[in-house]
Amino acid sequence: MLKNYFKIAIKVMMRKKFFSFISLFGISFTLMILMVVTAFLDIELGSHAPLTQQDKMVFLDRLELKLMIPDTNMIIDSTRNNGTVTVDTSFSYSERQRSMSASSAGYYYLNKYMSNIEAAEDHCIYSDRHTVDVFINSNKLTLSSSYVSASFWNIFDFQLVEGNFFGPSAIDHQEKVAVITQKTAKEYFGVDRGVIGQEMILDDQHIKVVGIVKTPPSNQLFLGSGLFLPLTNIDPRWLTSEDFLGGFRATYLAASSAKRQAIKDEIKKKTALIQLPNPEQYNRINVVTASFLENYAEHLLNENDPAKSRSIFLYSLGGLLLLFFILPTLNLVNINVSRILERSSEIGLRKAFGANGNDILYQFIFENIILTFVGGIIGFLLASLLFFVINSSQVLPETVLSFNYQVFFYSFLICLFFGILSGLIPAYKMSKIHIVNALKQNSNG
Amino acid sequence: MIKLQNINKVYRTKTVETLALNNINLTIPAGEFLSIMGPSGCGKSTLLNIMGLIDEPSEGSIEIAGQTLPDYNAKSIAKFRNEKLGFIFQSFHLINDLSIIDNVELPLLYRRVGSKERKALAEEALIKVGLKNRMQHFPGQLSGGQKQRVAIARAIVGQPDIILADEPTGNLDSSMGNEIMDILLRLNQEQGTTIVMVTHDESMARKTNRLIRLFDGNQVQ
Repeated sequence: MLKNYFKIAIKVMMRKKFFSFISLFGISFTLMILMVVTAFLDIELGSHAPLTQQDKMVFLDRLELKLMIPDTNMIIDSTRNNGTVTVDTSFSYSERQRSMSASSAGYYYLNKYMSNIEAAEDHCIYSDRHTVDVFINSNKLTLSSSYVSASFWNIFDFQLVEGNFFGPSAIDHQEKVAVITQKTAKEYFGVDRGVIGQEMILDDQHIKVVGIVKTPPSNQLFLGSGLFLPLTNIDPRWLTSEDFLGGFRATYLAASSAKRQAIKDEIKKKTALIQLPNPEQYNRINVVTASFLENYAEHLLNENDPAKSRSIFLYSLGGLLLLFFILPTLNLVNINVSRILERSSEIGLRKAFGANGNDILYQFIFENIILTFVGGIIGFLLASLLFFVINSSQVLPETVLSFNYQVFFYSFLICLFFGILSGLIPAYKMSKIHIVNALKQNSNG
Repeated sequence: MIKLQNINKVYRTKTVETLALNNINLTIPAGEFLSIMGPSGCGKSTLLNIMGLIDEPSEGSIEIAGQTLPDYNAKSIAKFRNEKLGFIFQSFHLINDLSIIDNVELPLLYRRVGSKERKALAEEALIKVGLKNRMQHFPGQLSGGQKQRVAIARAIVGQPDIILADEPTGNLDSSMGNEIMDILLRLNQEQGTTIVMVTHDESMARKTNRLIRLFDGNQVQ
């Protein structure tokens, strides 16, 4: 029975070339796009170096200082009854925000109040990205740098190509050393390795390269920096200022992803206890902590609420993926209706010779499964080809897309589901068709 | 073998009601070759379709091979059709995408007969109609007469008790028509298959055991 269905499915596919092309294009193109999108997402959001521990990280990214002032509302309610006016006055007291400043945190706040978070296993402090212009053979090169604490290397597992990371002693002694990415090495020295011990001149300072790391594929967050310097090498005014706001971020590492909330809670609690030095300027302090995904979504969407950003990001992504699936499905339903209608005479004949409604239904579903399988194979080949082209052409430098077989498998299952669904409606309709009417349609043979 | 009692068939649209069959009573004993004649639109095919359980009467009862129908549900009727009845159509109704042997196997598919046995039975049926050497061909490669012989092989492959043929020679020239008629007569005489044939051709009808005529839905002979 299945062999017969298979034969006819292949025959129909070959006979209706245009229809088959449209259907297969829909399925394979959907799969290809999904594979490429998920490969990019994997690069951006997957647990790869230097973010292997991302699911245990809590990012302290922003601090808000507010001036809240009392706000009194008075409501006067009067009623008139038999010539007597009764007045009822009620007051409600609340607060309203008069002013607010928000930015990354100041070193003073992170170092003094947030260095001892008990729920965290480790933490690091690093500066916002700074840009520095250097001139090589009269050509200007703009480099992006970050000043980082020694523990930065424990939390973000950059892949060392050669040399070493700098340790606490480099921080303590303000050593003029740097860890650079291969990309920066290539831009500055013309080679991407073999420059350990060589010096770079940045803002008239001689900085010795002690380590070269693999360039992370993503440009998000601090990962876009090509140059990492000891935290204490930053302009000392940044470190001595007692400002709560400006210039630095911290990342905490939890023992497990479930324990991230404890870190968030502790940071909030400790921040709430801080007595602000100038209450007439700011009397309320609020810290914003986020998981990696929340942090990513917040930066991407330019939102201020991490949880909300994460929801918007995930829902938008889900919506887009659904759209990717629904469009070819609707296309398939449409094509299937006309395709199956064309074969009503065959259906009538099969029913006359003993096929029942279910037999007809199964036959068309089987045909759609075959079609989806062929589409899946083409989709796999197309995606592999596209990956090869993107990876080998260096259109996106430092980006190596890798095929995610698990995603392909699930995408294929979803395609199969929609493939079956698209055939089910017209097949069900035709399985109920009256034999005499079906036989009267365009006849075969 | 087939007993029709008080069969009426009415086609209703919003504005018109057409009486296609009016109080038809007919008994066809096992082994008979009956032909039905009448002008176009007199209800011949409708009567054949009702006997073949692919159309339902508006009123009346049908008894085939001792079973009163349609007391069964759609699934049981499909099974009954598959086991007891074979169909031959004027326009052949072969599936162009399947080879000749696959076309002939069709009724056996729904009987859940194994692949090897199916092949053997289909081959046997094709030998009976003289098309053994055409088994791997496709319908598009055959003449009209050959197509109708394939249709006969398909109708007999499941060894049904009854064959219902709706103008089997209608699309063929007289020599091919005679060939088809010879095969049907042989089936009837040698294997005792009951055959009911609708035809416009008086000479073909005369070769059968009995002839009935319909006019405007009434049996007139």
